[in-house]
Amino acid sequence: MTLKISKLNKKYNDIRIFTDFSLEINPGLITCILGPSGCGKTTLLNIIGGITSADSGEMKGFDARGMSYIFQDPRLLPWKTVRGNIEFVISGDISPAERKEHSNRLLRSVGLSDFAGYYPSQLSGGMRQRVSIARAFACSSDIILMDEPLKGLDLTLKQSIIKWFSELWDSDKRTVIFVTHDIDEAILLADEIIVLSRLPAQIMAHEKLSRIPGSQNNNDPQLVRTRQVIINALGDLSGYNKEN
Amino acid sequence: MKSFITKKTFLGLASVVTMLLLWEILALYFNSDFILPTPVKTLATVLKLFTDPGFIFIAGTTIARGIVGFIISFIAGLLFGVLAGTSRNFNIFFRPFLVTIRSVPVIAVTLLALIWFSPGSVPVFIAILTMFPFICTNVTDGIRSVDPDLIAMASFYKVSRHRLLTEVYFPAIVPFIISGASSAMGIGWRAIIIGEVLSQPKYGIGTIMQEQQTFLNIDAVIAWTIIAVIISYVFEKLIRWSEHRIVIWRDRNDSENQ
Repeated sequence: MTLKISKLNKKYNDIRIFTDFSLEINPGLITCILGPSGCGKTTLLNIIGGITSADSGEMKGFDARGMSYIFQDPRLLPWKTVRGNIEFVISGDISPAERKEHSNRLLRSVGLSDFAGYYPSQLSGGMRQRVSIARAFACSSDIILMDEPLKGLDLTLKQSIIKWFSELWDSDKRTVIFVTHDIDEAILLADEIIVLSRLPAQIMAHEKLSRIPGSQNNNDPQLVRTRQVIINALGDLSGYNKEN
Repeated sequence: MKSFITKKTFLGLASVVTMLLLWEILALYFNSDFILPTPVKTLATVLKLFTDPGFIFIAGTTIARGIVGFIISFIAGLLFGVLAGTSRNFNIFFRPFLVTIRSVPVIAVTLLALIWFSPGSVPVFIAILTMFPFICTNVTDGIRSVDPDLIAMASFYKVSRHRLLTEVYFPAIVPFIISGASSAMGIGWRAIIIGEVLSQPKYGIGTIMQEQQTFLNIDAVIAWTIIAVIISYVFEKLIRWSEHRIVIWRDRNDSENQ
């Protein structure tokens, strides 16, 4: 079932963030919401996640089996080990053996099997974000929300985390809604890219990428075309910016 | 790393030796056991005290008072600290109580307590009044310092309320509880002994110190003081040791380098 947001309205004080905003998201794909900072993309993600409430509007298909959230900072519990943090979100009604089996599989998927007993303070930033990704998949959710999870990481680390994420996602294809301001991140990871304008947010472009997420062939003609469309859409934004 | 520890130990030892030397010099200067006996004579008295059959009763009673006072303060501090940390209104209402308890001079309360309570319970009462605010304030601060992002994360993943309390709030405040307990214990022993000196219960380090002072047995007064310091030190170590056991997650890398 397609996830639908229709006629969404949201104001912060007197600032209109969304005015009759509508959006469709295809399930089982990685959809990236791309836009300049302050365009309301995190607000959109938080409305989808139920963290922020909309003033009005309708949302369909988002209430299924729950959601996971990969935050910008990993938000790990410092007093729990890597394994403890992953198991923290596994619901209580399964046996300890199953729980352990489940977390073992996830630890392997993000390459942290040898670090199961480590505390977050003993890990690097990239490793912590991998734990946060594993935790998102540990929770039995249908939808994973990600708010700039790669912000502040260097390029090599970004690519490595995208690789871990893609591999995990390939084995467990959930609907992913991913917010970023970085075109490269969007192209590396997404199946669909939705470009948002400045406030009040409008959809400037909606691009589909037919390729395996995480593959890094930048010379693919379709990718080159997509990138151009996005740059054009964002280019309109800079014009929009000057007018205001 | 090893040389660092050796240096630290060396400096600690140097400090103790300096104190003993100053003491020795002063004792030689006064040259009177009624004013200040020498360290050697005092240490001999300490050793003699350990073999005294009454020692265990005297020290044991004081320790028991400390433990009882601590447990009561701990439970009350935890209870009121959690209330003040979770309810803004309660915190506003309760703050003047804490400020009053903390600012009233120990001696003033002791004088009143002497009228209200039996000699044996006066020191416990004084200890509770001095220890409770420390634990209470620390628990409140601990609850307030819990990272709201972690709470948001846990609520997003629909973690149960019970697990939110036991796996997020509680571990976050444990370091604060321990630090509160440690400060409380440090000041608590002094309060107990002051209470004992003034209320003169049958057994107690304070009782015996007062007695020995009357007979001008200065070496015994100092010897009992040393024993009180040892007791305080042992409990402080116990608390720090338990912290090390419980709060293993905190800055592991840093503590390994120290």
